[in-house]
Amino acid sequence: MIAWLLLVSLSRSSAQDAGVFPCGPRNVTVSASDQLILLTWEDDPSCTSRRHTLTYELEVLIADQPAHHEEVAVSPDQMGSPHSWSWSPHLALECAPFTLKLRSRSHGRTSPWQLERIGPGHAHSLSPEVYPRDKVFRVGTQATFCCVLPTGQALITLNVSGDSSSNWVRRKIGNRTHSLTVDLVKGSVESGANVICETQTEHNGACAYIGYPPADHDLTCETRDFQSVECLWTVGRNTHLALKSPTTYRLLGSTCAKGSAGRCSHKVRVDFEERDWILTAQNQLGTVNLTDRADLMRRVHMFAPQEVKVSSVNARSVRLEWNWAIQMYDELNVRCQLKISDNQTSAVRECLGVALRFAVLDDLIPNWPYEVTMRCGTAQHFWKWSEWSSSVEFLTMGDVPDALDVWMQGNDSQTIITWKVLPANQSHGNIIDYEVTWEATSERRNKSRVLHPKRSLALSLDATREHVVSVTARNKYGNSSPSTITIPVLNRGSGRVKSSKTQGSHGGFNLSWSAASPMASCGYIVDWCPSRGPCTIDWLRVPPSQTNVCIFSKNFREGVRYMLSIYGCTRGAPVLLERREGYVKEKIIPDGLFRTLNWKQRDMDVEVSWDPVALQEQSAFIQGYILYYGQNNSSVMNISTDDPRDTSLTARNLQINSYTFTVKANTTVGQCGATSITVTLNSLTDNLIKAVGITIATIFVLLCLIVILCYRNWECIKLKVCPPIPMPVLKDKWMTSLTKKSCRPVFVEMSHHTEAELMAIPELHCKSEAPALDCSYRANGCFGEPVENLSARCAAAPCLLPLLPPPPTPPPPLSSSLPKDGRLNPSYNLSSTDSLVEGSHGYQPQKQKGQLEEASDTPLPCVFTYIPLPSE
Amino acid sequence: MADRRSGAAGAPDQGRTTAARAAAIAELLLLEISNLLELYSKRETFTADVIAGDSRLVSVPPPSSQLDTPDKLWRLHAALIQCRGLMERAIAKEDEEMGSGTGEYETLRKMVKERLSFLINMTGELVKAVDGPAMMMPSLNDSVEPDSLTLFELKLWVFRVFTEVDYWAKTAVTILQALPKERVRTTRHRSTRSSRR
Repeated sequence: MIAWLLLVSLSRSSAQDAGVFPCGPRNVTVSASDQLILLTWEDDPSCTSRRHTLTYELEVLIADQPAHHEEVAVSPDQMGSPHSWSWSPHLALECAPFTLKLRSRSHGRTSPWQLERIGPGHAHSLSPEVYPRDKVFRVGTQATFCCVLPTGQALITLNVSGDSSSNWVRRKIGNRTHSLTVDLVKGSVESGANVICETQTEHNGACAYIGYPPADHDLTCETRDFQSVECLWTVGRNTHLALKSPTTYRLLGSTCAKGSAGRCSHKVRVDFEERDWILTAQNQLGTVNLTDRADLMRRVHMFAPQEVKVSSVNARSVRLEWNWAIQMYDELNVRCQLKISDNQTSAVRECLGVALRFAVLDDLIPNWPYEVTMRCGTAQHFWKWSEWSSSVEFLTMGDVPDALDVWMQGNDSQTIITWKVLPANQSHGNIIDYEVTWEATSERRNKSRVLHPKRSLALSLDATREHVVSVTARNKYGNSSPSTITIPVLNRGSGRVKSSKTQGSHGGFNLSWSAASPMASCGYIVDWCPSRGPCTIDWLRVPPSQTNVCIFSKNFREGVRYMLSIYGCTRGAPVLLERREGYVKEKIIPDGLFRTLNWKQRDMDVEVSWDPVALQEQSAFIQGYILYYGQNNSSVMNISTDDPRDTSLTARNLQINSYTFTVKANTTVGQCGATSITVTLNSLTDNLIKAVGITIATIFVLLCLIVILCYRNWECIKLKVCPPIPMPVLKDKWMTSLTKKSCRPVFVEMSHHTEAELMAIPELHCKSEAPALDCSYRANGCFGEPVENLSARCAAAPCLLPLLPPPPTPPPPLSSSLPKDGRLNPSYNLSSTDSLVEGSHGYQPQKQKGQLEEASDTPLPCVFTYIPLPSE
Repeated sequence: MADRRSGAAGAPDQGRTTAARAAAIAELLLLEISNLLELYSKRETFTADVIAGDSRLVSVPPPSSQLDTPDKLWRLHAALIQCRGLMERAIAKEDEEMGSGTGEYETLRKMVKERLSFLINMTGELVKAVDGPAMMMPSLNDSVEPDSLTLFELKLWVFRVFTEVDYWAKTAVTILQALPKERVRTTRHRSTRSSRR
């Protein structure tokens, strides 16, 4: 409120002045209120006679600067009545003096200006003053603030706190007045933005509330009790004016107490007619009118059923009852939804009827906790559901267990009958035990009882016959219906099914198998176990129409190979259809996969071999192997095989050097399981030397063995090779003299005589030279030298001495019989020289004279003939 | 008087416990008013220099090193009572001009006011325990009347009130934390004086 208004009439021209347009404004008044300037005036009486439109020109000067110009046309019929003009300046009236100029104009003639001035009337304060104060602005507009400084002070800053907008202009519009024009681009906080003016000594400011007009929309009206209308709408964006100018709401002209929540109700008489329901939202920046045209009898939003309770609780059904909050609901055709929840699932059932106050819930699980809540709406002209009622909890009565899911697992000697433990929603009470019965065709029935929680029984069945096994579960309410499985003849058909690989995905297996088998009349059973190691079989039943299944199990482990078997469910024994092997997720095989890595050099090739990899150690499918090899600090080469059954790889054309061989398994998750060995290759020369050395050593050993054998069997050999020569039995002087005379050496050649020759009566074929002739001639001097000398001579002049047959006497000791040169018959008994000498006495030359004569000049060979004699 | 003295001297442990509790409450008050001040400064983008000069809203005798513990306690107690009055007026005026909300700011405001009341009770007990000066109802500095302020001036005044409470919360922490030692000394001094008499 502006408490001051200064009207100063500066000048007034007289309309009577000569040459001046007389039809000018008279009784001009100016007023200002709430930042609005209102100017009123009247026409000069001289104007009433005019028949043309008169134009009034208005001009506004702010601080003596033109700020606004406007023209107001007055038609002849408006002449004589008072006129007014209002204007809201962009600058607060307190900021600067406003001068309003008014004159009339007609046909190029104008009246003199009449000036009215509005001046700021604030006294000289000690602190700066900021204007306008506490004004509401709309986002997106431009605002101008001014700061009037105390006398003698200078402006330091003038700004809008927290406003980061760069679109602002600050001007000096008077000696003590500065203005700030700002683009308002965003809403202020609810307590308003602060426009702060700072001088050297003082701070002061004003609040500015920057926001939006209401923007509420989507009005919808309905009735809940047939006695009032309740309207709902979507509250628009934040106006930022919740404190300064909160939005007020009026429904059908009545104020809404909680309109800011988007809800308002009003007591009305609800009847069957369509009408407009009007809501008005308003704040200082604007007003919004929302209209919804509706027949409230088709807009019934029921209250939730009350006092919902359960009666007649059975094993598989209960009765639910409730009341209505509004009596009139009994006259409606009502549709209700009942939400039945347990710990795991939730289902909704519907019921319908007039005066509906109860419902029966069936198909419930025995011995099972439930929670029920409900909501309702009109069945005819359904508008919307009521809120959910308060929930009711109940527990159904117990019952006999459901039938078990039975399966089998065969091994070499036994068949394990196993079944799944019934979950609580199937056991309908605590399970006490299980009864297993089995029988072959036309045999007596066997029975065994298994206490809970054990869930399998191993049976030793005749593998050549089918057996029918039934299992029932028992709780305190009775026995379940039996579950039967036919045990097939052991291994029938299972050997013919080959397994194929499958790949796991997302922690399980997506299995699909060939088109539906005609044998699988009651569906399929898929069971699975680790391919190796201990196994507790798990299985899944699949309906006949389905030939694929996703298998997930908390027991699945990555890197373990599983065997999955797909059986067809028949009226008799299940039939194995397919088998798969796979990993839920293949894992890198750790290094050191190959326990034993052997190598073998062949020329310049090296074959690296390993033992077959055990299945337990394969955490991924092995697709082949790769052998990396290389010398130290040199490039690595590799060779590979794509056959996972291979157990060796050969690196070829290597050099004599040290190599590192690394074998890796190739899997879908990469090369892994690396195992390395380092070997040094040997040269071929080394091998040759080694072979020769080995050969020599072998020969040497053999020779040694022969020598040893010969030594040990020398007597036998000697008997075989050199039988003992019998001693001559003739003992006469000839023989004696022979020993005393020198004689040509006699060589006894044995090697050229066969055994028969040796056994023949020997003849002496001595091809002695002349001295020998002398010897024979001079019998006394023929054998006069020692045998040794004789032997030496025999070497120079060989003699052929056929040996006599061996005497029956044993040979002399070997040590004394070996001649030094070894060329003599070793069996010859030199120690018996005397005997020889004695034997020579009996010698009878057969051709004494003639032969002697022929050898008189040249040496003649002497042939001695021995007559064997039995030894003494 | 003699009875009160003997009572105070006869229960030094209880006095120390009260002082310690008062110091702890003063620390809590300081934490909360600091948070409130920070929240307000951020919302209004005010800095400390918007408060002109160093004129104080709380009117108590100036601090002096000559003041003994009872006088310090009394001075603190009187200042805190004025602070509570200021807070109450600030809250009422803000709610009147800007509406009452239920946000974090309003919650903090209420907490500070209640904590102040609790601390005033504690300091009142301490003043009694040390035979402080006779209780006089402290009066607020009425130089600024919030009823005549514009909204911006009201905001500035509220900011000054929070700053004043922050100042006296710091002062309270300082005085109350130093109190146990001084109190013992004072008690001994007075005992000595009594024995001389």
